[in-house]
Order: sequence, then structure tokens, then C-alpha cells
Amino acid sequence: MAWKIFSFEVRYWLRGMMVWVFLVIIGAMIFGATSSDKITVGGSLENTYRNAPYVIQNFYAIMSLLTLLMTTAFVNSAAARDFQYGTNQLIFSTPLRKLDFLLGRYLGAAAVSVIPMLGISFGVILAKYMPWVDAERWGPIVWAAHVKGILVFAVPNTLFISAIVFCVAALTRSTVTSFLSSLVLLVAYTVADVMTQDLDNETMGMLLDPFGIRTFSIMTKYWTVAERNRMALGWEGMMLWNRLIWLAAGAGVFVFTVWRFTFSDRAKKGQAMPVETGSHQAVEIPAVRFAQGIGALWTQLRRLVSFEFWGLVKTTSFIVLLAAALLNAVPSIIFAAKEGYGNGSYPVTYWILEIIQGSLYLFVISMITYYSGVLVWRERDARMDEMEDTAPNPSWVRYFAKLVALLGVLSILQVLMMVTGTVVQTAYGYTRYQAGLYLSELFVYDFSMFVFFAVLAFFIHVLSPNKYVGYFGFVAFLIANGAIWAPLNVATRLVRYGSRPGYTYSDFYGHAPFMYSWWWFTAYWAVFALLLAALSSALWPRGKETSLKKRFAGFHPALRKAAIAFALLFAAIGGWLYWNTMVRNEIIGPETVLDMRADYEKTYKKFQDLPQPRVTQIQYDIEIYPERRAITLKGDQQIVNKHTAPIAEMHVLTDRAYRYDIQIDGAKVDKDDTRLQYRIYKLEPPMAPGETRRMRYTVSREPVGVENSVGGMSVVQNGTFFNNGIAPQIGYQAGGELSQRNDRRKRGLPERDRMPALERNCTAHCMNTYLSNSSDWVSVESRISTSADQIAIAPGTLLKEWTEGGRRHFHYKLDKDSMNFYSFLSARYEVAREEWNGVKTEVYYHAEHTWNVPKMMKSIQKALDYCTKNFGPYAHKQARIIEFPRVASFAQAFPGTMPYSESIGFIAKMDKPDDIDMVYYVVAHEMAHQWWAHQVIGANMQGATALSEMLAQYSALMVMEKEYGRDMMRKFLEYEMDRYLRARGRELLKERPVLTVEAEQGYIHYQKGSAVMYYLKEMIGEDAVNRALRKIVQKFAYAQAPYPTSHDLVDALREETPENLRYLVKDLFEEITLFGNRTTLAKARKLGDGKFEVTIDVETKKFKADEKGNETEVPVNDFVEIGAFAKPGKDQRYGKALYRERIQMKTGKGQYKFTVSEEPEKAGIDPFRLLIDRLPEDNLKKVTIGE
Amino acid sequence: MELRIENLSKTYSNGVKALDNVTLSIPQGMYGLLGQNGAGKSTLMRIIATLQDADSGSATIGEIDVLRDRDAVRRRLGYLPQDFGVYPRISAIDMLDHLALLKGVTNGGERKRLVEAMLNKVNLFEHRKKALASYSGGMRQRFGIAQALIGNPQLLIVDEPTAGLDPGERNRFYNLLAEVGENVIVILSTHIVEDVLELCSKMAIIHKGCVLYEGGPDAAVDALEGRIYSRKIAKAELPQFETEYKVISNKMVAGRPLIHVFSESPLDAEFAPVRPSLEDVFFAKIGGLN
Repeated sequence: MAWKIFSFEVRYWLRGMMVWVFLVIIGAMIFGATSSDKITVGGSLENTYRNAPYVIQNFYAIMSLLTLLMTTAFVNSAAARDFQYGTNQLIFSTPLRKLDFLLGRYLGAAAVSVIPMLGISFGVILAKYMPWVDAERWGPIVWAAHVKGILVFAVPNTLFISAIVFCVAALTRSTVTSFLSSLVLLVAYTVADVMTQDLDNETMGMLLDPFGIRTFSIMTKYWTVAERNRMALGWEGMMLWNRLIWLAAGAGVFVFTVWRFTFSDRAKKGQAMPVETGSHQAVEIPAVRFAQGIGALWTQLRRLVSFEFWGLVKTTSFIVLLAAALLNAVPSIIFAAKEGYGNGSYPVTYWILEIIQGSLYLFVISMITYYSGVLVWRERDARMDEMEDTAPNPSWVRYFAKLVALLGVLSILQVLMMVTGTVVQTAYGYTRYQAGLYLSELFVYDFSMFVFFAVLAFFIHVLSPNKYVGYFGFVAFLIANGAIWAPLNVATRLVRYGSRPGYTYSDFYGHAPFMYSWWWFTAYWAVFALLLAALSSALWPRGKETSLKKRFAGFHPALRKAAIAFALLFAAIGGWLYWNTMVRNEIIGPETVLDMRADYEKTYKKFQDLPQPRVTQIQYDIEIYPERRAITLKGDQQIVNKHTAPIAEMHVLTDRAYRYDIQIDGAKVDKDDTRLQYRIYKLEPPMAPGETRRMRYTVSREPVGVENSVGGMSVVQNGTFFNNGIAPQIGYQAGGELSQRNDRRKRGLPERDRMPALERNCTAHCMNTYLSNSSDWVSVESRISTSADQIAIAPGTLLKEWTEGGRRHFHYKLDKDSMNFYSFLSARYEVAREEWNGVKTEVYYHAEHTWNVPKMMKSIQKALDYCTKNFGPYAHKQARIIEFPRVASFAQAFPGTMPYSESIGFIAKMDKPDDIDMVYYVVAHEMAHQWWAHQVIGANMQGATALSEMLAQYSALMVMEKEYGRDMMRKFLEYEMDRYLRARGRELLKERPVLTVEAEQGYIHYQKGSAVMYYLKEMIGEDAVNRALRKIVQKFAYAQAPYPTSHDLVDALREETPENLRYLVKDLFEEITLFGNRTTLAKARKLGDGKFEVTIDVETKKFKADEKGNETEVPVNDFVEIGAFAKPGKDQRYGKALYRERIQMKTGKGQYKFTVSEEPEKAGIDPFRLLIDRLPEDNLKKVTIGE
Repeated sequence: MELRIENLSKTYSNGVKALDNVTLSIPQGMYGLLGQNGAGKSTLMRIIATLQDADSGSATIGEIDVLRDRDAVRRRLGYLPQDFGVYPRISAIDMLDHLALLKGVTNGGERKRLVEAMLNKVNLFEHRKKALASYSGGMRQRFGIAQALIGNPQLLIVDEPTAGLDPGERNRFYNLLAEVGENVIVILSTHIVEDVLELCSKMAIIHKGCVLYEGGPDAAVDALEGRIYSRKIAKAELPQFETEYKVISNKMVAGRPLIHVFSESPLDAEFAPVRPSLEDVFFAKIGGLN
């Protein structure tokens, strides 16, 4: 009997829509989260495969929370629907056993509730095969992970949740109470989770989590990337116990339910109607007016909107979807608000908007998909259509009422998001409210997209012969519209429904550069949506004649006129846009771009080593017209043949976004490849060795008309930022080659070396720096003009500034010949100016971004202090930090000028005093580049960035040490180490030692570089390290080719290292060395004099890793620290260091005792994280205080 | 004013000929449309109620072309479909309010008074806040008639309104209908003969899309006078009788079939002559007799 009820229950739900809708939504969420970086579900995926077993199981664990309300919807109905529909007497009068009934219903509903969770597997598996995903980040399908995800999380969690909800629903028979109980469960879980976070007893923590999420995270804490990619956690260890405990708890709740449940009819709600006897009464029917005309239609529209709106809002599925949407979006906003672009930022509005877009809009699309069907089919589904269809009320009123009701629901979501965002911002003490930005993005830019999709979904349902065909049609359309255009190499937005040029908001220029093109495309699609609306109104299914032919025959004449007008207007705008985007501008398909890059390499790579003249001196005359986003750059440069043979042809590469006019003395165009923008000039006579010639060029760009995608973002209304890369490039540039392995393979290109191999004592291969192959040190003079309200900045000292013709002109000159690598900027800047020993230190910033300006100024000066004292003189007469719009988010050092993106340093905010001050750190790093890159620059081969980036990191760390003290350096080392360890698991090719680091391996030259340099400094002393670096500066600063390599650096460091520590140079720079240090016991005994004797048991191991990450253990004979910390004070992250001692250790276990003067909180091995440790977290252990 | 239907035909896409050249003229008052299930009654009513198209023919009410000027028809129409559902969670009063709005009662106060009066009239006022979904069949039909009556319709179409109602509910329903049916055209379709007899002064019998009879029920009965005989027979004899006589109906009475037989000439004494009922008329017409 129980089986019958069970199978009836399951079939009941499978016939309905709800379970499938939920399944699709979960599937879509996970599909989005794994196939795109824009969509997040429960945090971002890190270095593992995007479909790693760990990731899948994690989804199953986390989704238990999100599907809680879905489960509630099924289980509540299973337990209470008989009472709600008044069918209880019908059912309960049959000879049913209570247990059978309850068991069947409970298990049936629970089984159905598991189905939506399977969307996780569908989503992950499907995402793997999408053409746009990066195949390198996907592993094989591990079925065990799916099975274990279901068996370890989905099934037990659903059984547990179902038991509780079933109990509440069966005993109270109230839907509201059931949903409240599940919300309470959720809130209680969240609160308990936070409260038990600090539980030191991990075992308790693992057992107490009813969903096993904590259990999973603790048990997999030490899994390496490889393990996460390979292994799935089953019913084992603590997980087994956890699952058994909570399944038993669920069973207990169910037994309680059976005990308390009674078939008797307590709830009076569903009572049958009393039998009537009286006849009808004589009632006077009041006379009423039957209104017609616009006024009446308007009233009907208003009332119908409210009717449809409430009809939609009051459904269970809506409440569940809304709750799920808010559950995903609100915590995302709360937790990610301050995490914008790295750690610790002001919760700026544009970042909050990005969180909203990433976490909510999937639900919005789901709601549009689902409710468009519900609304269009509402009368027919309820079989109210015949009654309503015979009312004298035009179809278009009903159509618009439904459309507006749906959009009304969505706008409420947007309002909720705006309120949440604002409240969160306020709670975090950020009061720069940008209501205009919220309103424009949420209610205009994004909302118009919702309108387009809703109108389309309605249209498809209006045409479709049944609801399911309509759903299928719309979803198929969505997928096709999103996925087919790129593979078809179609880039025009004219065919991609609802597509408009993307935009990036910036506090500098708002949305200004994008709006012209954006509005035109919006108008295009809006008119199309109007056409669809007219068609939908006219073809609205009314009555029983559903054939489209019949419906077309009944096309309302007024609507016919409107439809024709919209169609014509659509075609007209389309024609205008076609002319603008394809004739006045050009659109290149995504595949074509790749093909062109491949052809570029195939055709011209052979010229890579062709001797070319080199630039030595440049004069610029630049005109920037911000309001028109136009630029003209005239260059007049000297080129010199520095080779020993004459040069007969010159190769020049240009950028298709700009127009060029190039004149080279004695040169004639021999070949002009306009497709690949590659020109070959014949030099007549050839350039003799040592000969100097003049090359002049004009580079210009001005956007015309509507663009398919708004380009040229380096010149904007406010916040222009470009570098000299737009000038014609001399010689073949390897940077233009395809880098993606798949793209290369598809086009028959061989594997690409990321960088030439490192050579010792090289000459021929060291003639170029890694920044340029066409120049060495150049002198630069610039005249630059911009609009009257902006400041334009070029490299060097400002010689003169004047206003002429309503424009501001500036004349700059570099004080010292530098790398041919610098930037030009123009914006309405505020400027903070100070002086440091005759050097002008300046910060140019957007007026509203004052927060970190003083800190930047201080960091510039502290870095100047340190670097001039330790490395050598500063070469420029100014040091400028210049803010630029968030079209990019980086900071970059050019000679004397350091552009810094608005989205990172300028909005950074330290939460706690112990947090890493990234602004201070980054500015110091960029300043250090004025020595490491702009004075000493590596030859273009492996290891080059060790000379620039690693040394800039080291210098920045030393500036930090001066500021915060040696004991606090662990926060920086912890940060860098953590990022290094995580990133090395993501390495796709080969992890290199520092010596041969490649330019793309940021995690080595930044993160590992910091760690190894700091450890070396600890071991041989700051003076020794800086002595070596000073020697490098003396030898190579501003020196001509051949350029130095990492060998020069490592050799210099080795020379300063005492003989007995020389192994360090090998460990740190020449090989990949990792430690496995951990503390197994930490205890302390209180001594009589208030001191404590600490005993620690530690273990140490050492490994060498090869380039693929395979590790070999080697014996330890290294200097490792031990130490202890006091408890951190309030609001502090790090306690005072109580003890610190360096000990030469051997492999294996050891016990150490030492005495400290205060109560220790934590103690252990390598407490300051000086060594690269596979698992740094277990270095310290909490000290147990005994007698 | 009169509803004139001329040569109306309708064939469904599956080939079923629902209406075949139907011509009727329906005056004010109650008009019964009698026919078996699937006879084409509902198709006819839906066409008049603007829910379906006819393939050919015409229908007019006064000056109004029913098939073209649908809006004009809808403004004068009250329609109770044969079968209708309800929106979940919506009360009778809200639903009636919604329908009144659709019919053009846009003044909120007026609509409220109208809806309450209507509910009073159909005796549902007491239950107005209850969900329609919880209504019994009779209550639901009364709700249906309440909504059909909104807008003082000049043309009221009720399609099989008493199916599934118990006798008491049926009576109450007809009383309601009779009250409103004096000055307007009321078309009542049914397969229950008594309904027509009790309520209608004019009627038509439709079978397989064709009109077999149009006129007064009494006249139809009178026309059959003296040609109907009844006889009790044994069950096993039925096939034999059916071949030998024109059996128009048989029903079980006290466990034995009682057959009615149509005959132009008198039959032997085993057969008792009976006063024909409308039911006999109906079956005789359907059987192609008379």
C-alpha cells in the first residue's frame, strides 16, 4: 500500500510542471556557474577543473540549502494538500493505514525533491561541451563524483529536510507554517554555522552540520588540486557518522509525525459546503454603466495588471523562486560587496551592480521563461477561457496586462536589489549613493533586456499550439541566440535578438562613450519588440479557433497598421545600423580575427629576426578631443641602423583601429597587406650601418556613427589613457600571435614557446629587452593638447603649459632616455602635489576618489627613500600616480608615471588594521619598477621578469617591513604564499623555477618571487641582498645591449651568500622546492614567575618538484624557525610574536622547548611562513595550557 | 428582436461535420436546443458566442452580424459555457468582479454593488469570500449564471447547464433562468428532454449537425399523438422487437425492458397506446421517423 501511495505521489509530480521547472533552473545555474566566470553559485571556482569531483560534490552540498524551499513546496503539498483541497474525507475514508499513507507520501515527495538537484549533474556535464569553454580547465567526467554527490548530499539532506517539513505540514496543515519552518531551518542553520565556526573541536563541527557541508569542507581541506580533480568523498570517516546521525534524526522526526498524525478533520477550512434549501431571492440588480473607449480600457488595463500580478505573486512556485533568487543574490551582495577586484574595497555601486547581475539575472530569465507560459496560458489552463473570451474586452488589453504584470514582478526584484545594495553599502559605512547609476542600470539598461525577452517569450507562447511547445521554443531560442552566432562567425548585433553594444561604467565618464551606439541598437530591438507586441495582440488566442491561418485572417485592422508601421521602422533602423556598422565601420567575426592572427604568424613570422632599424628619439604632437573621442598623434622619430649590415627593407605593423599616414626617409611601400596591417617598405638606398633616418607618422581615430561594439576605449570623454603602442611598430611583433593552444592547433600552427630559452653569457639573443624589439633607450618630447577642463599628461617634466584656442596645451620632456614604453593620459583630474628631495611626487585622481590619495603619496615617498638609499639614484624629476577608468584594472609603471586603475587602488579599503594595505604595497611595487624594469631590464628570454617583477616585489616588501616591522611581514608572506600555492595548481604547461620564469607566469615572478627573496633576505641579511642588487644596478642601469639575464641576478646574489648557505640559491631560484612542515603538538606549562614553558612537537619534510608538479622528497638540512604568538587583541588578526628562533633541522620529527613571558595562544614551526610550504595552515597549533 | 441563423455549416479539421446547413430563427424567450452529446449544440452555441468561426452561412441578431461584428455581440452576450474551471485561490466575489470588469463595468463602486447584488440573486452572497474551487457543482453553475447575467445581456447562451446537478439544484437553477428569460433571447442547450419541456416555449432538435425539428414542444408532441405504443417485454426479446418494430426507446422498468414503439397503424393489444412525451418526439426524430 505504501508503495502504491509512493508511486502515485511520484507520478503526480512528474506530470506537473514544477519539478521540471526547478530541474531546469538548477541545471541552468550550474551550467552558468561552470561554463562562465560571470555567473557564480556559492563562490567562485578556483584552480581545480571546473568539473572536478570536488566542485561537483561541493555543488551538491551547497545546493541542499538552495533547494530547501523547493523541497518544501513538494513535501508540504504531499502532507497537507488533502486538507487544503478538502479531499481529506474522500481519501481518508478509504481503508488506509496511517503509516502506509504517511510513508508513501513522505518518501514520494522526498524522491521527487531530489530530481531538481540532478540539474547539477546535467549542468556540469552539458557545460563541458560548450564551444566557448576553455578545454584546458575541464577534466574527464568522473561519474563517481555525481553518484557520490547524490548519495552523500542530495538524498540524505533531502530526506532530513523533508522529514521536518513533512512533520510541520502534516501536523499543522498550513502551507504558510511549512514555508516558515523551512525558512527558520535555513536561518537557524546559517546562524549556527557562524556560531560554531570558531569551534576548535573539528570533530564536533563535522558532526553537527545537518547538511554535511562543514564536514565536507573540513575533510577536504588538505586535498591538493590533483586530489580535488580526481577524488570524490563517499560515505566514509566522519562523513559516514554525520550522515548516519542526521538520517537517524530525520527518521526520528518522521516517527514523531506518525505518532501525532491523525486522519480526523481538524482543519475546518476544507469543509464541504452546507446543503441549501431556500430558493433564490428577489434581488434588485442595480443599473450600471458599461464603459467603452480609452478611459475604460485604461481602467481595465490597470485592474487587469493587478489581477494578473497578484495571481502570479501568490503562487507557491513564485514564492519558492523568489526566495531562491534572494537566497543567492542577497548573501552574494553582503559577502562580496567589499571583495571587488581583489580584497578589501569600498562597496562601490558599479561593483554591487555586477554582483546583482551575476547572482540574480539567471533567476530573472528563469522567471520570464516560466511565467510567460503561465500567464499566456492562464485562462486556458484554468478553463476560464470561454467565459473571459466572450467579454467585450480587446485582446491587446489582456496581453499588455499580463506583460506588465510580469515586468512588474521583475521590477520589484530590481527594487529589492537596489534596496539591498544600498542598505549593504550603508552598513559598510559607504554613503556615496549613486541612485542614478542604480536606476539607469537596473531599470533601463538591464530592464530593457528583460522586456525584450518577455515580449519574445509571450510571442512564442501566443503562436504555440500548447504550453510545452512554447516553453521548448523559447528555451531553444535562448540557447540558439546565445550560442550559435560565434561558431557561425557572425558578430553583427543586427541578427542576435536583443543584442546591444556592451558597456563598462566608470566614475570618470559614466556610460558616455557607449550610449550613442547603445541607444540606437536599443531602439532597433525596441521597435522589433513593439512589432512582436502588435503581432501578439492581434494573434492572441481567443475562442476555440487556434489555427494561425484563422487568427491571421482575423487580424485587427488597427493592429495590422501598427504592425506594418513597426516592421517598416524596424527595417529602416536596421538599414541605418547596417550602413553604420558595416559600411562606415567594420565588423570582424570572432573566427576571422583568429584566422587573421594565424595568417599573420604564418606569413610574416619568417621576418622575426630580420634586422630592423631602431628608434632612438621621438617627438610627439598629440591632440586629444575628449568630447568627440578623437585623437591625432603625430610622431617624428629618429631611426638608426644599429646593425653591422645595411638594411634594405623595413617592416611596419599597424593597428586596424587607427588610420595611419607614414613617411620614412628614402622608403617606398613595397607591399601593403591591408588585411593584416603589415607593410613592407623598400629602403632606397638601403640604410647603412650607423645611419640615422627620420620616420614621421600620423595616427588618428575618431569614432563615426553607430558601432557594433564600441571600440577605441582608450580615448573617452573623461579618462583618456593610451600608450605609445598605437604608433606604427617596426618589425614583426610576436605579441600578435595566437596564444590559445586549441586555436593554434585548429589552424595548423605548432606549439608556441612562451619565451625564448634562458642562456648564460648570451650576446646575440640578448639584444632585445622583453618589452621591445625595435628600440633601446629613447628620448621623448611631447606636445599634447586636450579640452580646456582636462589635464593631459605625457612622460617627463612639464616644460610649459598654455591655453590656446579654448584648449589646454602641455609640453613635456623626458629627463632621462628611457624604455620606449610610456603612456599618455587626459582627464579632469584633481592633483595632489608634494616634493621629495627635489622630486615632484604627484597623484592625479578623479575628484570623488580621494580615499587613498594620501596613502599613495606616502608610499611613493617611502619607496623613493628605500630604493634610492639601497639601489641607486632615481632618474626622473617626478613620480606620478595617475588614475584611469576601469576599462582595465591594473597598475603599470612607465618611466616616472604610474597609471593605476580606478577599480583597484583608488577604491581599496582596509577593513581591519591588520589587513594587507594593498594600495601601499602596489604603489611601492610600481615605484620599485623605476629601478627594476626602467633602469635594469632583462633580455627577452626566460627569467627576464625575475629581474623586474620579482625585484619590484622584494623592494615593495622591504618598504612594507620598514613600515610595519619584521614580525608583521607574515601577513604579506601568507598572502603571497597562498596565491602561489593555488596558482601553481592551475599551471597548464610547465612550472618554472624563478631562474627561468616566463613572462606569463605571474604567480612565479610575483608571488613566489616575494617568498624566495624575503627568505633569502632573512638568511643572508638585507645588506647582503641589497649589495648584490646595487651591483646589478651599477652594471646594467640604462646600459646598452646585450641586456642582462636572470643568471646575472642569481650570480650576484650567490656571490653575497656565505658558502654554507649557497644551497639556498639553488633551492630558491634554480629549483622548485617545497616544505611539508607541521606542528603536531603544542602545549605550555605555567611557570612560577608568570612565564610559560612551551613544548612543541614538529615535523619537517622537504620536496623538490619537477615542472609537472611531481614531488620527490629530499633530506632536510635547513634553517627553520620555531615560535609562539600571543592571543590577538580585539579587531586584530595577528597576535604579538612572543618567541622566534631559527634552528637547523633535519627531516622528521623534533621536539622543542622554550620559555615565553606571556600566555601563548599558538605555537609551532615556521610561524612566519618564510618557507614555501605545501600546507602552511598546519604550521601553527593552538597551545593547550597545562600545569 | 430575433436571432436568425441561416445555412450555418461547420466542419472540423478532423472531418467531423458539426453543423450542416443549420437554419433557425430564435425569438425572445427561452429556446431549447435539444440533442444528444456531440450533436453540434455546443458548436452552434460557441459560434453564436463568438468563440468559433462558421465555414459558411450567417447569423444575425437584429442588425448585428454575429459572425463579423463580434464586439457588438459580446456587448450583448451572456454566456455560460458547458464546462468551465476556476483559478486556484480566487474567491467568487473576486472572480465575478474580474469578469464584470472585462465586460466593461469600470466604475469600481458600481461594480462592487453589481457583483454583490448578483451574488445575492444567485444565493451565493454568504459564500462570496470562499474559493470557487471549493464550490459544489450547483453553486458553481449559479456562479456561472451570475457571471453570464452581468451586462444585462440581450442574448443569453447556457450550454448544458444542468449536467451533474441534483434535482433540487436543477430546479433552483431553472427558476433563476426563467426569471431573466422573459425579455431576452435565452438559448438553452441540453440533452435532457424535461428541461426543454419545463422551460421552453420554442425548441429545436439537432442531430448530427442537422436541425430535425423546430417549433413548439407541444406541437411536436401533438404531432405524434396516436402513434406511440408501449410494451413490456423480456430482455431476450429485445433484438427481435427491434427488427420487427420501430422501437424508439427502451428503458428498464422493474427489471424488464419497457419499449416505446412508433407505428403509423394501430398495433395489437399487447401494445398499449401511450400519450407521446417529448422524449418520444426526440427519439422518433433522431430515429428518422416522423
